[in-house]
Amino acid sequence: MFGWTGKLLHVDLTRGTCERREIPTEILHAYLGGRGLGVRLMRDYFRLGPFEPDLPLIFAVGPLCGTSSPTAARLSCVSRSPLTGTIYDCSAGGRFAWRLKAAGLDALFITGKSPAPVFLSIDPAGDHLHPAQSLWGKGVKETVAALGQYGSVTTIGPAGENGVLFANIMMGEGNSIGRGGLGAVMGAKGLKAITAQGDGVTGVADKERFDAARGDVMRLFRASPVIFGELGIAEYGTPALVDLMAQRRMAPTENFRSTFFADSGNYSGPAIRKECGARKEGCYGCPIQCKKASAAGEPLPEYETVNHFGALNGISDLHAIVKANSLCNELGLDTISAAATLSAFGEARGRFPDAAEVATLLADIAYRHDQGELLSLGSRRMAEVLGKPELSMSVKSLELPAYDPRGAYGMALAYVTSNRGGCHLRAYPISHEILRKPVPTDRFSFSGKARIIKIAEDVNAAVDSLVACKFAFFGATLEEYGELLSAVTGVEYGPESLKGIGERIYLTERFYNCGNGFDRSHDTLPRRFFEEAGSAGEGIDVHPIDRARFDEELQKYYRIRGLDEDGRFGDRNLLDELP
Amino acid sequence: MRDQISKYTGKLLADRSACADGIAFAAQDDALITAGAPELAALAGATLSRLNSLALVAARPTLPFADFLVARAGQGEECIVPQDTETRTFLHDIPFLRRKDLSGDAAPVLARLLGNRKGVIVEGVGIVAVGAITVEQAFINYSSVFHSTFVKYLQDVLVEGFRLPGEEEAFDSFRREWLRPLSASGLDFVEALSLEKEAILAEIERVGRYTVERGLVDSFFGNISAVAGERIYISQTAASLDELKGCIDPVPADNSSTTGITASSELLAHRKIYEQTGARVILHGHPKFSVVMSMLCDKKKDCAIKDCWKDCPHVRDLGGTPVVAGEIGAGGLAKRVPPVIGASGSAIVYGHGVFTLGRAGFGETFRAMVDVENFCREEYFRQLDITKA
Repeated sequence: MFGWTGKLLHVDLTRGTCERREIPTEILHAYLGGRGLGVRLMRDYFRLGPFEPDLPLIFAVGPLCGTSSPTAARLSCVSRSPLTGTIYDCSAGGRFAWRLKAAGLDALFITGKSPAPVFLSIDPAGDHLHPAQSLWGKGVKETVAALGQYGSVTTIGPAGENGVLFANIMMGEGNSIGRGGLGAVMGAKGLKAITAQGDGVTGVADKERFDAARGDVMRLFRASPVIFGELGIAEYGTPALVDLMAQRRMAPTENFRSTFFADSGNYSGPAIRKECGARKEGCYGCPIQCKKASAAGEPLPEYETVNHFGALNGISDLHAIVKANSLCNELGLDTISAAATLSAFGEARGRFPDAAEVATLLADIAYRHDQGELLSLGSRRMAEVLGKPELSMSVKSLELPAYDPRGAYGMALAYVTSNRGGCHLRAYPISHEILRKPVPTDRFSFSGKARIIKIAEDVNAAVDSLVACKFAFFGATLEEYGELLSAVTGVEYGPESLKGIGERIYLTERFYNCGNGFDRSHDTLPRRFFEEAGSAGEGIDVHPIDRARFDEELQKYYRIRGLDEDGRFGDRNLLDELP
Repeated sequence: MRDQISKYTGKLLADRSACADGIAFAAQDDALITAGAPELAALAGATLSRLNSLALVAARPTLPFADFLVARAGQGEECIVPQDTETRTFLHDIPFLRRKDLSGDAAPVLARLLGNRKGVIVEGVGIVAVGAITVEQAFINYSSVFHSTFVKYLQDVLVEGFRLPGEEEAFDSFRREWLRPLSASGLDFVEALSLEKEAILAEIERVGRYTVERGLVDSFFGNISAVAGERIYISQTAASLDELKGCIDPVPADNSSTTGITASSELLAHRKIYEQTGARVILHGHPKFSVVMSMLCDKKKDCAIKDCWKDCPHVRDLGGTPVVAGEIGAGGLAKRVPPVIGASGSAIVYGHGVFTLGRAGFGETFRAMVDVENFCREEYFRQLDITKA
């Protein structure tokens, strides 16, 4: 078999066992890997609560991982989110995915709960659980340093150990499995860290075809101003978006009360380069290298992070924002949810936290100390406890990232149709509504957006299963990645068949969510976006979203998806229809 | 979406790439709609309904070149592979369906082909192109296939001559009737562009429209810019040159802001040209004969370089205009064009298009592009006539 290893490591933490098992080939062909494989493997477990021991925590790489396919040294982590209650996946780069594949695995399936903290070492010579009591309570850097001898490391920090609902799993290189609190799921299992090493090579079925397809991908990367343009993400990282979002008047500010922050230039891409001496970093083998690190090697914040610790909390000090980012990384906290929860907290009490208080509150959250106990629940639960539920700027309890939905109506729709809650990456309409890729669409119009969002969700579910980086698709398309996949695996895939796989994955996720009580009532935005205008400027007016038009487009979306008016499946048992 | 269908039907007519009675669109949101020539519309609808895409155009080209390419293709071949930049970068190849293979319902097989590529040639029917997320995208892909087949056919005829019954007559008709004299006459330009932002934007919008109207681009691509002090005003990526209002990015020369991340992929080339030539304005188009002639090289047989479009280090000459290799964006064009464009005011990029510059305003730039294209057109037919003789 080319592309896949066909192997899964089944780890039962309750029994303390590690066993390599076969994955049926037809499942790999039908779900590819990453998100798709993980979602499929959740079929018998999706009703379990996020902290029930039998709930699996799945790490899955894709068939392109281990080859020189651009941006494909990634994995998806899949489980059920304690923050949102939905099925949850997150794509992450770094080196760990590549090492996992080199260790001979397509997936890691972790279930049970260890009676004492452990870490898992993965190695073709033997997979073992080791005591980790001495690491429990340690920060991410210290843990990574302590386990470096075992290979590439992924670990939780104190936030995951303490059950913070938006705790991350951190990669040793600073990448994160973020947003939905899978760090808390890992912590609840008593699993501190996982290491992986191996020297296996992913076989390629047709090397000549692969080289040609890779050349096509790279040509499109070079043709993309967003990727390799002199103002693009290869140069400035995602903070390249700071100036653009300010100009477009859609940078969430002070808990989304406005959409323009006059001091955002302090943390723009050029400002970070100048102030922090930003240099290029990136995931293993990625030609884009969009991650940026300081001269001292400290990972620098992404766009969402600088906006949310900046504008969203009214903070203009770049160094304070960088510090908040580093603290989150060290404690194992999601930066978007942490900053957005602090912002909602700030609005609720009538004062946004200043830079010094942010640092204190982040530590309190990670250790669930003092006010951190409440904040560790995320903005939705926190705002409800404070009697101001309308101040949580979230969808399905997932805090919204740094694209105000009043400034991009496809984004507004995509936030609510996302199966993991208010996420920008499921359909990623910013690509066409703002960045004009593959073609521009009118950001202030709902026309056609239901179909566009549906298609993009399918595409991105496939991308997350390859597993490739979304940023690659600012240049390339499934045409080129389908060719890469065919060349690697020897199995023919094209854009349409990949979208079909993506649709299968998306509907499965939706079916799981509906099975856990989700319906149309959860597919909505916070009231603010329908009632309050954003900040006008540069000839741009940012109106409240027309709720009737929004609801109309959502119903169109349901029809396109084959769902009923309530966004559910009716009597249909989708799982009976799927491999 | 009906307004979009109407708009892009109009564009296909305006650029004379499709026959008036042979254009159909299909689009789907929560319902499928079709419009245009009934038979083609039925095919478009039946095909799109099988695809996870938003729009599709099926149209009969005004020129028979796509059909000729299919007929000239060897038995067993299933696609054509034009060598121009548009094809290489975005289309890769263009699959075709032969007339003899069209029995019964063509929609399933068309959908299968369009499931892998953006456009398909159906012999005797026309070009069918899909738009993944917009009607405009379907139009762009149709236009790209039309452009690519135009370029490849002219190349092939020059090298191989006519091979099919009726081919030479059809080509003569193209030469005498379809082609129109190309000039800049009747167009107004501000000969000395001011430094004032609004005046610059207005002139860029106007010249962009001229560029499309005079057929100097495929679909509506290309790019255009002007420099004023420390700022470059440049058309955005994927912007219609004939609809540039609101689609021009002001980019600071010192990169102190990244607002221009949406600027044309050729921003770097424009910036370097300004730095090295002192020009005020730049226009970049894809005029067809220039693209054809740029790929004609008498050293090909003996040359060790095979990927000429990116690896050729030589500066060739077409009527005083230098021709260089280089892929788009960060792919090398930005290194090779700036050093050679200053002397002549124009440069051709292998298989891609033409850059021209102006020292004061767009009149000089536009006329230079017209001159380059006219030279290449005349040179093409001169060489063809020699070959025929």
